[in-house]
Formats: sequence, structure tokens, C-alpha cells
Amino acid sequence: MKLLMPVEVVAARHATPRVLHLTLRPTKRAAFPAFRGGAHTILVLPDGKRRLYSLASDPAAPETWDIAVLHEPEGNGGSAWLHAEARPGTRLLASFPQQNFALAEGAARHVLIAGGIGITPFLAMLPELERGGADFVLHYCARSRAEAAFLPELEARLGPRLVPWTDGRRLDLAALLAGARPGTHAYACGPARMLEGFSAATTHWPDGTAHLEHFSGLRREEAHQGEAFEVEIASTGEVLPVPADRSLLEVLRDAGHPVDVGCEYGACGSCLVEVAGGEPIHRDVCLSPEARRTRMASCVSRGKGRVRLEM
Amino acid sequence: MAGSYPWGGRLIAIHIAEQASVEMEELQAARMIEGVGIEGDRYATGRGTYSYKPHADRQCTLIEMETLEALQRDHGLTLEPNESRRNLTTEGVPLNHLVGRHFRVGEVVLFGGRLNVPCKYLDELLGRPLFNPLLNRSGLNCRIIQGGVIRPGDRIEPV
Repeated sequence: MKLLMPVEVVAARHATPRVLHLTLRPTKRAAFPAFRGGAHTILVLPDGKRRLYSLASDPAAPETWDIAVLHEPEGNGGSAWLHAEARPGTRLLASFPQQNFALAEGAARHVLIAGGIGITPFLAMLPELERGGADFVLHYCARSRAEAAFLPELEARLGPRLVPWTDGRRLDLAALLAGARPGTHAYACGPARMLEGFSAATTHWPDGTAHLEHFSGLRREEAHQGEAFEVEIASTGEVLPVPADRSLLEVLRDAGHPVDVGCEYGACGSCLVEVAGGEPIHRDVCLSPEARRTRMASCVSRGKGRVRLEM
Repeated sequence: MAGSYPWGGRLIAIHIAEQASVEMEELQAARMIEGVGIEGDRYATGRGTYSYKPHADRQCTLIEMETLEALQRDHGLTLEPNESRRNLTTEGVPLNHLVGRHFRVGEVVLFGGRLNVPCKYLDELLGRPLFNPLLNRSGLNCRIIQGGVIRPGDRIEPV
């Protein structure tokens, strides 16, 4: 469900100098739709930019949602706009919850690994873990204590179940995840390098027990480029060339096809199109292998020769 | 044909959306603006999915409640009036027969411009495979010929 809801900022405060903590409320409904910890929303800024933010508040309190926004000066302006402009009363649009990441049902133990702003989805998972009396540990990696958003509250709340890794103490993912005990599930959210380390350290884990949430997909300059290919629109036979320096999304929109622009790095699924034939080259981080059989993310994915689109 | 036998139905619900992809909201009364659209709706303000190719027939769109019930009955698919992206949900109105005809909704007069065509976009928006089940019964796209205020319960009948 990719529907958008009008929302209003009701509180804006800094969790750290670089992390803005926002509370949102829906303006045209009494409460937000239900979600489980790990879900994200697609926030639409006034200029139409769409950005993904994990929901960081307790799912049992649906009257408001919390998100935390890291200021990324090297990014393309979404976080900078929110840091400069978001204040109580600011109107935005937020999508229904997108649930690609959640606690596994029936796990015996949960090992949560957060890197920097990647702490946010876990904040919404903690109530479920605590209410269910689950066996869990949260490893929280950050450059320094001062940059670790919500760290004092988490320490007070979780005691020994929180393991901070800051100020030069580095978490050895390979060592932590070397032994995969039956019934244990591991979860990671954080920067790309950390997720690569997590994936490498869990290759021997049973299928479906290592879960990760991507905060970023392809780098912006790479996302729009690749080998030239062409697409055929199945309903009309129209053939559109996609040159090496443009994305399929740009080409489709220029030709008048109503495809939504989302994150433009292959993470949010706003721009998915249905594939009727040909061989796509998938570069997204949001589709399952199953979903990739019939769909592709037009912002980043490309194709070999000609790809036929069901449009 | 709709023009040659008596029919009469009623308006069940009115929905508008402020912008493309934004959840629809239900209205207890709507101002229909002749030649423009429904006050507050995305196709009256140029913020709809298809606003980049404006067409008079998008001023107001209708769908039959009977279609929504048939989706549930025949396909097990839920499509609520507030999810259909159509503005007016009708009961007892043969929408497919109203292309090229004028008809009245309360004090307002609409002209049936063309049949609505389902869009894959709805499948993505709602995450449900509605495209094929909606073929040929996705509703009617209309022009607002005579404006006014409409409310759920209003009679819908031939002019």
C-alpha cells in the first residue's frame, strides 16, 4: 500500500546536533495505520522529493509517528530541507507503512545490530520485544557517544541488553555472528559498509534468519547510468530507447507514462514497473527474488537488449 | 439502452483526494464546479496523476457500488469506495450505458464522456491485483455541465 497521508509536524527537536527527531500526526485521520517495528514511511517533501524514514515510535501508539533524520550535507537535499525547515505546523505527506523488515515470529533469540542512524527501526521493535519478554541484545555502533542518537535513554531502558560500540571500540561482526545458534535471528540496519559486513558474516546462517534493512541503495551518480537498452510498451508496441546516461524512470516519464518518482536509489519501490518479457538487470535493494521475476525498479534497474513492460 | 428505459439510482458516497496518490477523504457535501471539477479534488487543482494531460472528462469520475461488491464476490478482492480513486460511488446506475449522455446527480448535471480505464498504478498504490478484474467496469469519466452541491443519498437519473 503506497497511499499517502497528509501529516503535520507536531514536535521537532535535536537528538544529536546532526539528528533531528520529528513527531508527525495525520491531519485527516484519527490515527496512523498499523505497522510492526521495522517498517518505514516514504516522506514526500514540498518539492516532491521522496525520502525513506524508519518509523521509530511504538506501534501501539498510532496517534503519532516518530522519525529521526540524519543531516547529510552530501545528500541531495532531503535531509537538509527537513533540518532547515521542519517545525511544528510543517505540512508533509507520508506513505502508509512499508513493511520489509520485522522481527521473526517464534525466534528464540534476536540479535539486533544498529549502525548510526540505523538505530531507528529498532526503536520501534523494542516495545514488541519487551512486551513479549523476548531474549534479545542490541549492539549499537556509532562514531562517538555524542553522535549516538537516543543512547542515554537506551542505556537506561535496556541495561546490559544494550552493547554500545563507540569512540574507537569496534564491533567485530564476523566474530559476533560466527556461531549461528538454532532459533537465533540477526537483524542489521546501518551504513552500506556495515551491511556488507553483516551479509558476509551471515552467509552460513540458515535461510531467512539474517535480516537487513537498507538505508541507501545505489549511489546517485551510478543510479542513472549504465548500458543503453530499450523497452517496449506491451499495450501499444511503442519502443523507447534508454540511453546510457538516463534512467528508465526518466525515459518513461518523459514519454508520458505515469510512474511515481521515489527515492531514486532503488530502495522505496515507488517506481516499480511490471515486466512482460526480456531480461532486466536488477540493481534495486527492495525487491525479493520472487518479485524480481515480474517487476523492476525503473529508477535504477536496466536491461539487456529489449525489455517488454506491461503498461 | 439507458435512454430508452427508466432507471434511477442514488449517490452512496463522495470522495476526493487533494493530490495524486493521497488517501481519499469522504465528504458529506461536495461543491461541483462546472467545467472544472470537484472543489478540493486533485483534478480540479491540477495535482492528479493524469493532470499533465488534462481532459474535460476527468472533472468527475464515478464507479458502481455493484462493481465493488462483484470484486469481493467473484475475486475475493476488497476495494472500498475510499480506495477506488473514483469520486462518486453509485447504486442502481448503469454507468456503462451513460457514455455520450447527460444525467442528473441531485441538482448537478453531468455528461458521460468516456468509460474509465483501469490503471496498473492502482495495483501498485494498493498492493492488490485489481487491473484485470476492473476491465470494462472501472466506471465513468464525466464533465460537469451544471454545477451545484451534491450529497450522499441524492437521486441519480436521466435528464
